[in-house]
Amino acid sequence: MNENRRQVLQMLADGKITAEEADRLIAALEKEQSMPASASPGDGVRHKYLRVLIEAQDKFRAGSPTKVNIRVPMQLLRAGVRLSSLIPPEARDRANAAMREKGVNFDLGQLKPENLDALLEQLNDLQVDMDDDRTKVRIFCE
Amino acid sequence: MPLALVIRIDRCDGTTLRLWLPLFLLWLLLLPLAAVLLPFLLLAAAIFGAEVLATFAAIAALLAALRGTHVEVVGRHSDVFVHIY
Repeated sequence: MNENRRQVLQMLADGKITAEEADRLIAALEKEQSMPASASPGDGVRHKYLRVLIEAQDKFRAGSPTKVNIRVPMQLLRAGVRLSSLIPPEARDRANAAMREKGVNFDLGQLKPENLDALLEQLNDLQVDMDDDRTKVRIFCE
Repeated sequence: MPLALVIRIDRCDGTTLRLWLPLFLLWLLLLPLAAVLLPFLLLAAAIFGAEVLATFAAIAALLAALRGTHVEVVGRHSDVFVHIY
């Protein structure tokens, strides 16, 4: 029995915590011990590429569909975001306005290097699947 | 850094274009040019601020990160394959 577990049981015996609280603490300790030493709680699998697969059938012509297969390194996204943070404010406003016209309501000023790691970490879990009569789109990280 | 760029275009009439660009040679050629341009870059940074250096660093990082990029389009009239090694 390790020291942490002994302390939790001692606190339970002293009546400082309830049995449910002791159970939760021990479960948290076990979870912590099962994780590798180098891993932090937020660490997941680090994907290296963003993949975009599109299969589109022509609306007016029958035949084999057009297929698009794109693989973009995550490092490229990282570098792109870093570069976008250096865009002058006037150019950024124009880019934001152009995106808004296309229906993308996004502020490029929100893309900051300090938010980069959190953004890319969220991208690791990204998976988009679109499927209709003529078009199939898959976006995922690998 | 990307070492080579491969472009292949297969057209439906049977013609094929294959291009292999050794980017590592381009970097080797650009290296002396970069050494010559460095004082001017530092001068520009002194005049216009450190953002000039940051911009060049970001562009260099963008070029370096291109390695592994893959684009493949299989269309009705032609197939296009681009890969950066």
